[in-house]
Amino acid sequence: MDNQIYIVIIEDELEVMEALLGDLEFIEPNFPLEAANNAEEAVSVMEQIEADGHKVGLLLCDHVLPGKNGIDLLIELQNHPTLKHSKKVLVTGQAGLEDTVQAINKAHLDYYIAKPWTKEELQEVVTEKLTDYVIENKLNLLQYMSALNATRLAEALRENGLTDT
Amino acid sequence: METKFTLHDRESILKFLQDTINGSVELQQHVKKYEKGTVVFTQGQRLNYLSLILKGRANLRHVRYDGSSLDLLKFEPGHFMGLLAFTTGNPSLTTCTVVEDIYALRIEQSEFEQYVNDHPDLRSPLQILMMINMSDRFLQNLRLESQMHSLNQRLKAESEELRMAYRQLESSHQKLIHQEKMATLGELVAGFAHEINNPAAALIRSAEALKENFQELPETESMALMFKSGLDAEPISSSEIRERMLEIQKRFPYVEDRSATRKLAQMPELALEVIDSNRKKISITQLIQQFEAGKLIHNIQLASARIAGLVKSLKSYSRQDKNQAEMIDIRTGIKDTILVLTNRLKFLDVNIELNEIPETCARMGELNQVWTNILVNACEILPDGGQISIKTWSDENSIFVEIADNGPGIPPEVLSRIFEPNYTTKNQGSQFGLGLGLAISNQIIRKLGGNIEASNNKVAGAKFLTSIPIVKC
Repeated sequence: MDNQIYIVIIEDELEVMEALLGDLEFIEPNFPLEAANNAEEAVSVMEQIEADGHKVGLLLCDHVLPGKNGIDLLIELQNHPTLKHSKKVLVTGQAGLEDTVQAINKAHLDYYIAKPWTKEELQEVVTEKLTDYVIENKLNLLQYMSALNATRLAEALRENGLTDT
Repeated sequence: METKFTLHDRESILKFLQDTINGSVELQQHVKKYEKGTVVFTQGQRLNYLSLILKGRANLRHVRYDGSSLDLLKFEPGHFMGLLAFTTGNPSLTTCTVVEDIYALRIEQSEFEQYVNDHPDLRSPLQILMMINMSDRFLQNLRLESQMHSLNQRLKAESEELRMAYRQLESSHQKLIHQEKMATLGELVAGFAHEINNPAAALIRSAEALKENFQELPETESMALMFKSGLDAEPISSSEIRERMLEIQKRFPYVEDRSATRKLAQMPELALEVIDSNRKKISITQLIQQFEAGKLIHNIQLASARIAGLVKSLKSYSRQDKNQAEMIDIRTGIKDTILVLTNRLKFLDVNIELNEIPETCARMGELNQVWTNILVNACEILPDGGQISIKTWSDENSIFVEIADNGPGIPPEVLSRIFEPNYTTKNQGSQFGLGLGLAISNQIIRKLGGNIEASNNKVAGAKFLTSIPIVKC
């Protein structure tokens, strides 16, 4: 399948990574999941996804990572020509106020989920942010009706007069 | 006849004047008596007469703007009362009160010229007497200035002493506050650790019981094998998962679900063979579920063991209940400290070499404070990663604990002051230090009869060598 929209998870603690993957399996049939254990790996994974003709719709990023931390990564991605359009969610137990403010202001953070998260919150945020992504990037909205927020997609369709081509 | 008098001779002039007055009825009429307690003139009054004391004494007092009063000269025979006010025409600066009955020659301003013309032999002595009075005042002034100067000097010295004493007090106060905070924090930590202990224990027991429970459940051997594989599975890194997923896609092309592919990628060969052999018989979803069950239980066990380990170390680290020194193996505390600081040490290369050391008499909680201070400083000096090494060894008299890093090292000007209270290099933004950590650590070690030495390594970084004498309780 081409032109899939990926969700990329960045988390160095393997049990936590597995837990995130587990909670997001519900959406994988429509939005494949990928994971990375550090910022460097994440960038290479994301660039590979794009090289294969796909897009990165959403990043779920922890803050405390070996090497470069999550917020710094998110800020740097703002300078990336394509990846800056991906939605960015911080999932962390350890970002201080200053860092978080930086993330909001410099990285245009889209959401902050504090650990430990509830499955419900996580799934809802992911659904909403992907809905934002497809609407903002003027993608084929009909295709995602069943997986994302159908009400909002329908409204966007009405507003923009976009149809399946 | 005009007699010449010398300037210093108040007594002889006075005698001359007294004799002259005694010989003149007219002059006697100008002699006035002031009884003890009389106020001759008050501060602020303009005077148009002058009084020369022939007998008796008076007191001069000046009242300041703030209400306090100064006692100035004491007037004696030969002194003029109101001399300044009379000669300058300005209001009197002082109040003059009679202390001992006074007989004074009162000279009105309007009469003064007449006086002197009528009694030319009085002119010279009166003038000289006035000069003597003035010079007396001047001398008094000099004396006062000198006194003031030495008083000022003393004041400055006392002020400086006070300042130093205050600084010392501040420093002790801060140390006290810091210790209070540490004590309170220690109490909180100990309380917290006790509280978590129970749920942590419950978690561990339940996970174990769940495991045993589940082990009975699988209905077939294949299911049991999948469950057991899950129990033994260790989490694998994201890059390994990616690699394996590619292999799985080739080996199990009929598995279209990406999540399922990922789960297969995390399975050991044994489990994959079970899936292969059951291809037509049991649904792959069920087999995966069994594996997952085992894996999840394993994850729970891992996580709860971690919690329990942290709690144990936290309790051991704080050891609030031990206010007595006792025979301890310091290494236990060092290990606890390292565990408690896991979060900070996570991305550093920590090399631990805890050689065997004898027990010694000390308080573990206190010593843990020392290791914590040194290690936290090391972590903060290596924000982008680095190496820390922790070694212990002993000789026949002492135990040695060396904590070293490969950071930028300690600049010489900091090195000489590093154990000073209130000396800190952390003053920017979010990094705030009171500068008490190492000072208190030093105190703790010195109290034990030991020593902490800070130095720079030959190659790179700083080194803190703590030596503690081996003693019995």
